[in-house]
Amino acid sequence: MTQPQTRFDAIVIGGGHNGLSAAITLARKGKSVCVVERSLHLGGMMAPEYGLVHTLYNLRPTVMRSLGLQLDLRTLPTVSLCPDGDHVVIEGSRARMSDGSPHPKATEFAKLHRRLVRFAGLLETIALNTPPKLSGGLTDTETLGEMIRLGRLGLGIKALGKTEMQEFLRVLLTNVHDLVVDELGDGPLAGSLSADAVRGGFAGPYAPGTVFTLLYRLGAGGNVGVPRAGMAAVARAFEDAAARAGCSIKCGSAVTRILVDGDDQATGVELADGSVLEARAVLSSAGPAHTVALAGPEHFDIEATRRVRSIRAKGTAAKVNFQLKGLPSFAGLPDELRGGRLLIAPTSAGVERAFNPVKYGEVSEDLTLEMVLPQINAPEDDQNLSAIAGFVPLEHAAGWTDEAREALGALVQRRIEAFAPGFASLVQSREVFTPADIEARTRAPGGHWHHGEMGLDQILTVRPTNGMAHYSMGVQGLYLCGAAAHPGGDISGLPGRNSALQALKDGAV
Amino acid sequence: MAQARSVALGLQPTVFQPRLEALSTAKSWIGWSGYVSPVMLESVEFEYFAIRNQSTLFDVSPMHKYRLTGPDAERALNRMVTRDVRKIKPGRVGYALWCDEEGMVIDDGTLFRFAADDFRLCCQERMLGWVLEAVEGFDVSVTDETDTISGLSMQGPTSFAILRAAGLEAVGALRPFDMAEIEPGLLVSRTGFTGDLGYELWVENENGLALWDRIWEAAANWDLRAIGYEALNIARIEAGFIAARVDFQPVLTAMRLGRGRSPLELGFDRLVDFDKGHFNGRRALLKQRTEGLRHHLVKIELGGFQPAQDALLYHRKTKEVGHVTSGIWSPTTKRNIALAEFKAPYGGGITDDLWAEIYSHEEGQWNRRLVPVTVQDGPFFTHSRARQTPPNPF
Repeated sequence: MTQPQTRFDAIVIGGGHNGLSAAITLARKGKSVCVVERSLHLGGMMAPEYGLVHTLYNLRPTVMRSLGLQLDLRTLPTVSLCPDGDHVVIEGSRARMSDGSPHPKATEFAKLHRRLVRFAGLLETIALNTPPKLSGGLTDTETLGEMIRLGRLGLGIKALGKTEMQEFLRVLLTNVHDLVVDELGDGPLAGSLSADAVRGGFAGPYAPGTVFTLLYRLGAGGNVGVPRAGMAAVARAFEDAAARAGCSIKCGSAVTRILVDGDDQATGVELADGSVLEARAVLSSAGPAHTVALAGPEHFDIEATRRVRSIRAKGTAAKVNFQLKGLPSFAGLPDELRGGRLLIAPTSAGVERAFNPVKYGEVSEDLTLEMVLPQINAPEDDQNLSAIAGFVPLEHAAGWTDEAREALGALVQRRIEAFAPGFASLVQSREVFTPADIEARTRAPGGHWHHGEMGLDQILTVRPTNGMAHYSMGVQGLYLCGAAAHPGGDISGLPGRNSALQALKDGAV
Repeated sequence: MAQARSVALGLQPTVFQPRLEALSTAKSWIGWSGYVSPVMLESVEFEYFAIRNQSTLFDVSPMHKYRLTGPDAERALNRMVTRDVRKIKPGRVGYALWCDEEGMVIDDGTLFRFAADDFRLCCQERMLGWVLEAVEGFDVSVTDETDTISGLSMQGPTSFAILRAAGLEAVGALRPFDMAEIEPGLLVSRTGFTGDLGYELWVENENGLALWDRIWEAAANWDLRAIGYEALNIARIEAGFIAARVDFQPVLTAMRLGRGRSPLELGFDRLVDFDKGHFNGRRALLKQRTEGLRHHLVKIELGGFQPAQDALLYHRKTKEVGHVTSGIWSPTTKRNIALAEFKAPYGGGITDDLWAEIYSHEEGQWNRRLVPVTVQDGPFFTHSRARQTPPNPF
């Protein structure tokens, strides 16, 4: 009988998509990698077992290629619902009314959308690489490379032309509400951009920095897609790519300790069953605080642990899944459009009002919703509706009791009913995941899908905190590879891939 | 409208202040961490020579004292300080420094180890916030004992004789840096700041005056003298000990970039244990060790007899390369001595042709003199009785 392998070039903690992305990147460079996952299945927050994720928008073709992901995606139109039935359909930069008539602000929207996508494209070179450090001099090849990339960004900004360059610099750090309402007036069109900009985050569209989060979302062009084979195909694609790359995968194995030797070098992990896996590189897709706790705070500087404790990560998105016995119809919406991504965010100001109560641990009556009907092509009596609801507090003022959770489910149902009369009669059952539930299930800090707020104080060279922006957590060989790391959350695979590339570059693997 | 005032204004008396007040003819006081503390009680000369030839009592109650207890106390402290805390056994005291993440010294102090899981950190700077941060994530509880524990530093050749006369002969068994609860509630450590034989006595505040009186009565035939900061300062420079805010700027109190100093720059290589695993600032210190130090704090001897406090230092009489941080005329060694900070490599790699520019003011006239400087290893003052166990009566 052969002993199972216990020594690897690298160990990846967490089989979420970023963990897998890191593992695949390393394995494709010929490294032996073991992914250790606490739960019995892979995929992390996007695991079909949780049903938390229902669309993709930040998975770049370049990343899919470099990871060997095989996914057949189709693009979903966005439908921004309006209480009076004047729904807006958005496909890329085109906006029209759901009855087929032109949207009065279609030209302005096209111009704004194209501009934002162009601005987002400028930031791509930053997203695809480790944030610049600029610690060496001009004779340092690494620093020179960073300077060249920053130079390209500068040239790219310059190449926009004077007016557009000024516009880029003007809007980059501002709030999304002013930008979109200035251009479009307030309504479902503005509401859709504002809602997209702040979904999942602890900020309303009036908050500075929300143009940046919108640009972040538009990094891959802004199209929203789903695999033709359903969302479960995403986790499967990552899993298959990992298997093809030759990664070892251990599910149902919780890491209880990250091992560090007396010379400040990571040496492996200890699992819940007491066994030890050895590796000189450990990449953790767990949150930074959890990673620090696994290694033991004594391996980090006191200031670093303080900064890690202070990372802002309060999720505001709840997930509600309805099992339906029929397809709902939305008032005034042609049925062929209900297969799109349906938004309830009738105004940008309304999105801000939906956010306000979260600050006090309360939930707004007028929630912002993003919905899809993932099984629209399945038999009529086996349908479900997947809704991401904002804004929902991580800590409910009255505590997340079963009653509070049920009340939230009922609230979401009422909100949908207002746009889809008769919806309630189709509901067979519903599951509600508050941010607290999401944290408990997936260990994502604060149930936040970015593992840390994408605020201006927590992005780029200070993501997740000052001193940890280059994936290394200080201990030699210990890297962060989850959504808390640069560039941030969403199904992008970028933190995992970038972290693995950095570890390779550092010679840690 | 009357306002409630929870914090008393002005300097607060220590437990020993009634006795000090009665002994003070100089009426010269300074503030020390919010407490009244004597600069001198009578004259610096009497007090200094009492340190070297008799015995002295100095009230160290204003020192900050933090008790750290709990199963993780050793682990947390070992991450905080640069030396290996595991090597300080229960019943021992260790001198230690601690740094920020950039390897710059926050403060130095003495670490008392009572048991495997019970420590007291005694230091000059207020440190509660830092200590609380340092134990975050560890099973350790922290108590600030600064205002509940009083301390008397008893230093001088006859200190053991006096303690014996006071019925505390058991202290004779203490080796340097040993400590023991000699009587219930009375902790004595063989520590001090003078480089000579001496002890520090620690009691709960309510037992402070009784302790003072007991020692004072027992010392009737030994000419014990209460002293102030000035005399002690001369003795500590002779012993080669550094003082926070004098010889280095505690980095958490420095506003300007680059004003902090690493333990390597202060000459404490032997107290930085790179082999014990991670400690705060280790990565930065390793980098500094590789890339080179910026400064050297060293002991120097100067020509002439004019104290060199604050004098600028020159190489080849022309290039300014540092300054004196603590300079005195040493009455016991009869030498002009100082602690001085040089810009590297001066004071380290380059130690020849160094000069100090000393100004003196005499009745309206300034004189400027360049005197030669020699870098010196080891303390200026040492005495075998500082280590002898058990000590002689004098």
